[in-house]
Amino acid sequence: MTSKVEKVVEFKIHRFSPENKKRYVSTHSVPIRKGMTLLDALMYIKDNSDETLAFRSSCRMGVCGSCGILVDKEPMLACYTQVLQLNSDSLVIEPLPNMKIIKDLVIDIQPFMDTYNRIKPILIKSEEALKEPNAFVQVTADLKKYWDLSLCIKCSICYSACPAAIDEKFLGPSTYATNYRFITDSRDEGTEERLKAMADNLWLCTSCNSCTMFCPKEVDSSTSIVDERSLIVETGGIPRTVRDVLTSVTRYHNPMGMHPSKRMEWAKDLEVKAFPTIKDADILCFMGCTAAFDPRSQTIAKSMISVFNRLGVNFATLGTEEWCCGDHILRLGEKGLFEMLAEHNLSTFEKFNTQRILTLSPHCYNTFKHDPPYSEKNLNVQHYTQFLAEAIETGRLKPSKTINNRLTYHDPCFLGKRNEIYDSPRQILKAIDGLELVEMKRTRESSFCCGGGAGRTWTEEAVPEKRPSVHRVKEALELNVDMIATACPFCVTTLEDAVKVLDVEEKIEIKDVLELLDEAT
Amino acid sequence: MEIMSHDIIIIGAGMAGLRAAIAAAQFSKEVDVAVISKVYPVRSHSVCAQGGTGAVLKDGDSFDLHAWDTVKGSDFLADQDVVELFVRRAPQEIVALDHWGCPWSRTEDGKINQRRFGGHSFPRACFAADMTGFHEMHVLDGKAKTFDNVKFYDEWFVVSLLVNETAVAGLTAIDMKSGEMYALRAKAVVMATGGHERIYEFTTFSHTATGDGMTIAYRAGVPLKDMEFVQFHPTGLVPPGVLITEGARGEGGYLLNSKGERFMKRYAPERMELAPRDIIARAEMTEILEGRGLEGPYGHYLALDIRHLGEEKINERLPLIRDVAIKLGGIDPVKEPIPIRPAAHYSMGGINASIKAETSISGLYAVGECACMSLHGANRLGTNSTADCLVFGAIGGQEAAKHALSESLRELPKEQILTSEKRVFDTILGSEGDERVAAIRDEMRTIMNDNVWIFRTGDGLKSALKGIRELRERFGKVTVEDKSKQFNTGLIGALQLDFTLDLAEVTITSALARTESRGAHFRKDYSKRDDENWTKHTLAYCTKEGPKLEYAPVTITKWPPTARTY
Repeated sequence: MTSKVEKVVEFKIHRFSPENKKRYVSTHSVPIRKGMTLLDALMYIKDNSDETLAFRSSCRMGVCGSCGILVDKEPMLACYTQVLQLNSDSLVIEPLPNMKIIKDLVIDIQPFMDTYNRIKPILIKSEEALKEPNAFVQVTADLKKYWDLSLCIKCSICYSACPAAIDEKFLGPSTYATNYRFITDSRDEGTEERLKAMADNLWLCTSCNSCTMFCPKEVDSSTSIVDERSLIVETGGIPRTVRDVLTSVTRYHNPMGMHPSKRMEWAKDLEVKAFPTIKDADILCFMGCTAAFDPRSQTIAKSMISVFNRLGVNFATLGTEEWCCGDHILRLGEKGLFEMLAEHNLSTFEKFNTQRILTLSPHCYNTFKHDPPYSEKNLNVQHYTQFLAEAIETGRLKPSKTINNRLTYHDPCFLGKRNEIYDSPRQILKAIDGLELVEMKRTRESSFCCGGGAGRTWTEEAVPEKRPSVHRVKEALELNVDMIATACPFCVTTLEDAVKVLDVEEKIEIKDVLELLDEAT
Repeated sequence: MEIMSHDIIIIGAGMAGLRAAIAAAQFSKEVDVAVISKVYPVRSHSVCAQGGTGAVLKDGDSFDLHAWDTVKGSDFLADQDVVELFVRRAPQEIVALDHWGCPWSRTEDGKINQRRFGGHSFPRACFAADMTGFHEMHVLDGKAKTFDNVKFYDEWFVVSLLVNETAVAGLTAIDMKSGEMYALRAKAVVMATGGHERIYEFTTFSHTATGDGMTIAYRAGVPLKDMEFVQFHPTGLVPPGVLITEGARGEGGYLLNSKGERFMKRYAPERMELAPRDIIARAEMTEILEGRGLEGPYGHYLALDIRHLGEEKINERLPLIRDVAIKLGGIDPVKEPIPIRPAAHYSMGGINASIKAETSISGLYAVGECACMSLHGANRLGTNSTADCLVFGAIGGQEAAKHALSESLRELPKEQILTSEKRVFDTILGSEGDERVAAIRDEMRTIMNDNVWIFRTGDGLKSALKGIRELRERFGKVTVEDKSKQFNTGLIGALQLDFTLDLAEVTITSALARTESRGAHFRKDYSKRDDENWTKHTLAYCTKEGPKLEYAPVTITKWPPTARTY
């Protein structure tokens, strides 16, 4: 007995024929019954419509890791996803990216699998300990410390979504998670060896969170990498570039090595109210270190002031009392330093009698929202894009000038993936006359990181072709746009570097949404 | 054709294959081991094993008790010397896995926890929540990769064995990525290719677990033993058939019919839901046939109710099946009973192998589900299959290593290589008939489901045999649409179908001949166990006319057959 056909769904499958190296799209109509998974649909196509379609599958219950595919740009296990739940009449199916295609949906996962050979994915024990005739003792509380990380099925979905994995020096998110699974296993004696395997490569992670977001088994690789960095920081075995950042933040409370007294210099020609002269204001603008010290980002900060003044916002900054928010520092693994920064900022918020905070950078926003001790205070914080999109929506702010540009928008990971703020920046851009907004192949949840997160803006050492930003700019160039807009000073910096590296400064420019809005109002 | 050489080649990288590789590599650094598998090792069907691995670890339990449970569970068809060796070796495998990193679930004092399981009279199932096979596999995969003398051929499809007179010389295989065929020479070959339950429609099996090695050995002249004994697991999830672990009942789950009754009280009043699988599967079918099944869009089913265990315990002990039931069954077991019915799950039979995993071909070994040492007899107990893979995987790997160290490579029989090449590229890939692989495959599965299921009859089996032989005819006219070389899954599907058709034929032939009911093999026309005539193993030999049956005695050491009630 079979159940009734609920609907017919069109599958558009991106194919690749290795014989003639041809790429094409094949379209198939599949009758969908209740309970049918994407894998069932692919098998239906193979059995009834096109026997030549190649894909991998095995267990059909989400444990063997064979059947990762992209469905409307989102990676998932075909066997573990019900077609009806996708609520769509038409689906685009592609192979997982970041790896070579062998045929159709079958990708070459060997490089991914090989990364496990660079760590030791079993317990490290002394010869002596292994002579023990009985099992080792491990209490449940200790088992629980690593259990969640032991659920990785090696499906390579994280690897396919990872910007750092472009550089084969990087192990891959799940491999770091597996390494950490053993580090946290109370039976393991190999922490030193395990840290050594990572010491010169795990700094490439940008904390974009794609691995964690898309993992079908909810393995939090992204956090594992941060935890592993913390252990390496404790041992002191960190690369010079990372040490420079940490030293600078310790000494000057900013990662750029600038004297803290210079924090407000960017605003010296503007009338910006600042603490301690001002004891309170409607809104506290947390400018962030890049806006304070990096010349390129300062222009974004100035745009912010100008837009806010036009809008008549009663705002102030913390002036020279603003310290680095610590987002990058936390994700570089220096938890102690992060806490020191957070305590200072929180106590300054209190002195300032802060009711509402706006941040220029998604990184400050994210850490205020999610990382304790900030998150414990339930700060009333918004990213500027949210605030200004609201102002536009309620008619308080009306961009009046036309800017004739064909542009695309790059989602900053700490705004998009980590906080699901995808629409506000787009609303602002759409409110500006003359702007033609087109989307890149990888956008919103599937956006591809610029490569600037978790301190990598300052520690970047990869050769150009292995930088995520270079790949991202190339992706934008495919759209024939003359501009990439974004809403993060780090994205602006890294993408601009990539434009220079690719020598396409004549073709494309990088702007923050704020700069465009300033220009248009 | 390019030829590679190794001392030992292990075919299959599931639990038995990986364990064999580790044992062989550990036996001597001098032994050059290759593992060849049509999937990456962690994609093997062994990762689907859920509930636990049986071993005697605690006071109160004993080797004799585990052996007795196994023998009684087997309906007295197990070879008792094999059982006795098995129960003694199982505990050290549990410890080895612990030492390599298996995340065993623990008792309060940090020792390995053990849960109850069907047919076992002591809680002896060591488990890692309900992902035991998954964790064991990832540990074995990690361990196997620490050896410099183990090389992996991942996504290579083995086509045939090469036999020089009565000894193994190597094999032929297709590198799926390039589509090229290679010959590989070896002094010893270990078959570890798993079971054949993909011959059925409703099965717990992975798509890739098609029993290839059984047919490859069978065609090379090794008999397949006791193939009529197919285990039907009582709790296959409706609709997909995937496994819902017996551990759900081990933790206290109930089986309910449409009246909400715990119907097992009528079939196994003492053990109830923890009776052996053959008994529960028959009970379920009886409930359905007598009109007490539940009815849904995918046919009749019964209910597995674990709600009373509570969310916390379910999340701790049974997290995978909860997730699977939600994702694939559309119900949350915390809130609703799980729809289940019996699903083809395990082959008690397989390549006839000795207690040392040897076969009738010198240098050819068989371990795990594809092998039949007669450990499980007519019905396997839950938790004994993963333990079997570990124990006999290790033994087979070691024996193969010993053999390889004392033997030299045999000359490759060239004509066999040519035959293999011709069969794949001319006969199958070159065929231009009007038959389709998918159609024949699906018809085979329907025939097996309809006639070679839990309740069998002579007439049903005869009609099934006729049906399968017709399909074999039609297979000769099959066309593989994809004529390309690289990753040709159409070709692989055809080769697998070719293998499974033989296994369906052997299963039916063996079942038709056995005119008694024993363990998982139940004949409505011969509903009693017949110890006098049938305390013997079936051996099926490959001939041009089809399987030829012979019989071999059962080894009884301590436990003569008695009535089997639970």
